[in-house]
Amino acid sequence: MADRWDIFCRVIDNYGDIGVCWRLSRQLHHELGIPVRLWIDRLEVLTHLCPQVRTNLGSQQVDGIEICQWESCSEETQPARVVIEAFACEIPNCYQSSLLSLHESVPNPPVVWINLEYLSAEDWVSECHGLATPGSSSSLRKYFFFPGFTTETGGLLKEAGLREQVLRYQQEFISQGSRATPDLWARLCSKQGENPLPDSQKMPGELRISLFCYQNPRIPQLLDYWSSRSAPTSLFVTHGLATNQVAKWCGHPLKAGDRLQIGALELLILPFLPPSAYDELLWSCDFNFVRGEDSFVRAQWANRPLIWQIYPQEEAAHHKKLEAFLSLYLGEFSNREAVAEFWRLWNQIPPDRSWANASGIEDAWEKLIHFRQEWNRHSEEWADRLDRKGNLANNLEMFVRKIREETSRS
Amino acid sequence: MSVKLAGDLQSGNVVIVEGNPLVVLKAQYNKSGRNAAVVKLRMKNLLTGRVSETVVKADEKMEQIILDKKECTYSYSAPPVHVFVDGDYNQYEIDAETMADVEKYLMPEMTDVVEVTFYESKPISVVFPKVIIREVEYTEPVTRGDTSGKITKAAVLKHSKYELQVSAFVEIGDKIEIDTETGEFRRRC
Repeated sequence: MADRWDIFCRVIDNYGDIGVCWRLSRQLHHELGIPVRLWIDRLEVLTHLCPQVRTNLGSQQVDGIEICQWESCSEETQPARVVIEAFACEIPNCYQSSLLSLHESVPNPPVVWINLEYLSAEDWVSECHGLATPGSSSSLRKYFFFPGFTTETGGLLKEAGLREQVLRYQQEFISQGSRATPDLWARLCSKQGENPLPDSQKMPGELRISLFCYQNPRIPQLLDYWSSRSAPTSLFVTHGLATNQVAKWCGHPLKAGDRLQIGALELLILPFLPPSAYDELLWSCDFNFVRGEDSFVRAQWANRPLIWQIYPQEEAAHHKKLEAFLSLYLGEFSNREAVAEFWRLWNQIPPDRSWANASGIEDAWEKLIHFRQEWNRHSEEWADRLDRKGNLANNLEMFVRKIREETSRS
Repeated sequence: MSVKLAGDLQSGNVVIVEGNPLVVLKAQYNKSGRNAAVVKLRMKNLLTGRVSETVVKADEKMEQIILDKKECTYSYSAPPVHVFVDGDYNQYEIDAETMADVEKYLMPEMTDVVEVTFYESKPISVVFPKVIIREVEYTEPVTRGDTSGKITKAAVLKHSKYELQVSAFVEIGDKIEIDTETGEFRRRC
């Protein structure tokens, strides 16, 4: 049986941290047969992604994963031989001491300690991926593992068979002339995804969009515009900040299950979607507005045009990160400038030329619609390209094996 | 010894890592996610000369040491050491191995003042001035009518046999300036 792995996750805000850790844990366990113990400081956040989780238990087994409350980690906790601290979260001191003792007293198989870093498309990531932080007083080193978009990085999370699943779903859609928006909405709202496939079809010329975002002052402008267009727009509004901002624009509260028609814009207010339902939403829409890290990655596997709101950072560090991704993602795409312009507007990043000369977000949106089919094809090619670079869980497992071989040799 | 955050390290700083003195050759600061940052460090072990790369969180505390340094001049070589002397005529032997990168600049009766660094009273490294002047012992003359477009050619320095690329107009016996950090030709004197 494979060694157990411990994954530590601190929830800073939102669902990105635990979303990534939960996905990784499940993939390591279900696809690679690795027993995983997931340590998390805010169990209540995980209950949104995995409703079976009970917040009153110090330790519990869910979907093959042992889930433990961070606070229950103590001197008595037997450390694993592979330890991942997600997003530089720093494992508890008591655990660190036990890990060091284990490393020194039982050197084989070697202990591997990894810091799973944030996702970035910047060049420096490949230069830092796989490097170790020297131990201050021992030979136990911590390795930095960077997710990324190139073969020189750790890759992206992707379950086995995901690409085939997406393609099957979308081909089914095409053969049916696409599922009707009200049916899709009802199916997503049911959370279980067990409703039978509907017979009705998407309206001709209808644009279907999903909205998942942080606070964004551009939202009212876009809603104004979509409501005033002649062609119908169906906007699936995700739970939380997106719903709150749309409600503010509407001038009254909105709750999951609400459906409103405002001019040409239909608003479909969603409940909190579990990951599988959110994936289905991404696969079903013509455009996906996503944010942060987890939904951003899922949208790239969805074969559909995406608009990313990056997590804002101090000193505008996120501007460089956005540009780095745009450069990789758009490559030689013929309409790259229009996409980049919209993304910058959405993220309120001044373009190279004078900010005053930049077009409004309405004009920028119109440009996107004109080459939607090309962008669709580009999205499929991009996902194919990413797919060829392997996936993060497998790369992580191979990395652990490599470090162990090197450690054993030295 | 003092504590310095990894994010504040600069090239030239010396830190103790796993008990060894390491001089920072290059520090590259990058913002990772949220408001965290990491620093990629290229460092040289002052005892072994081994160069390594590492990455640390920018808020990691590092033990910085200030090393003693003395201005010295080259005296003579007695393999496997080179001998330097300070203003008080104290002699210091330095292993040729630890001077591998700069040994090529040594020459008899050279007047360059070098900086010798000490760790726990032991001389461990020699830093030459940024620019030194050396004489070209041999270089091919430029052939009249050569239209190959070459703008540099190889030249060998007097005494050291160090070969470097120089401008096509440099001739045997010329004095040239060399950048000791890159080992490259700067200009003819």
